[in-house]
Amino acid sequence: MRKSLFGAIVGVMMLSSCGSVQPPLYSWYDAEDASYRYTKRLTEQEKAEAMAQYKKVIEKQKGSRATVPPGACAEYGYMLVKAGKKEEGLALLKKEMELYPESKTFISRIVNQLEK
Amino acid sequence: MRKTIITAMMLLMGVVAQLQAATQGNENTRGVKYAQMYDERPRAIVVMPPINRTNHVEAKDFFYTTMYVPLCDKGYYVFPPMLTMEMFQAESAYDAEMFIEGNLDPFRNVLGADAAMFTIIKDWKRLNALGTITVNVEFILRSTKTGSTLYQREGTITVDNSVKSSQGGLFGALLNMAATAISTAATDKVEVGRKCASYVLSNMPEGPYSPNYEKDQNVKAGKDVIKETL
Repeated sequence: MRKSLFGAIVGVMMLSSCGSVQPPLYSWYDAEDASYRYTKRLTEQEKAEAMAQYKKVIEKQKGSRATVPPGACAEYGYMLVKAGKKEEGLALLKKEMELYPESKTFISRIVNQLEK
Repeated sequence: MRKTIITAMMLLMGVVAQLQAATQGNENTRGVKYAQMYDERPRAIVVMPPINRTNHVEAKDFFYTTMYVPLCDKGYYVFPPMLTMEMFQAESAYDAEMFIEGNLDPFRNVLGADAAMFTIIKDWKRLNALGTITVNVEFILRSTKTGSTLYQREGTITVDNSVKSSQGGLFGALLNMAATAISTAATDKVEVGRKCASYVLSNMPEGPYSPNYEKDQNVKAGKDVIKETL
């Protein structure tokens, strides 16, 4: 009896404390660290690593929203343009505006400049 | 017997619910504390270059990079950090000091941002041998429409980065110290910034891409100034 009552108490405590936990919206892999290292060192190797991580964030998204997080298409797309893959990169920058209309003012300006 | 347990559970649930309500109070919910945030409903946030008031020059960059993920995870649209950084540098705006109390119209017009997140790094202390870093940072979210402060919180966060190896004895302890010194010196500093940002911002109202958007007004908001070891 005492044992089951104790179990009940623990159960209630757990139930009441778990209410606010929610699964993460996005999976980021190592994109944050990799892009930090790239902005610090600007080497080809760091650039390749940052691009690989962003590619993963875009293609292998496991977060609860099941969609690409804000900024990922834009960052990766811009890096692709700078690496000479203009069309592929521009398509991703446009994808950012499609996924997140909030980005339109900023990204459309960049797209216009790059398309000139 | 079973009945008594069920009654006891019901009673307990009631007590827990009351306790939670009592500790929350009315004025300390997100809805009351950050009322303007629920009024204005910002969707898109631009992370401003951190204002560094410490001697640790690099701290500015750590914090700039680490604001992006926690704010996205809160459900906001956050402008891409590398692209915005390039814009800040091109416009000679990498010093946010001139915007913290100034007019934020340019960020609404040029970027389409609803709000700007400022950070002021007030202290950065590193104790290599112990593998701990203590940072004191203030976060201020200002509306680009009204200029008013929508959210503000300050945290003194200590992060324990010590590396624990399985080897015991004096040799093990020496190895630990060496490994710790290396780990605190490397990219772990980014980790410190990230932990600090996500911990301090944890009470911020959820953004439009969160399933709890506009449903979290009754959640406890917590204190404006916090101190924690992570």
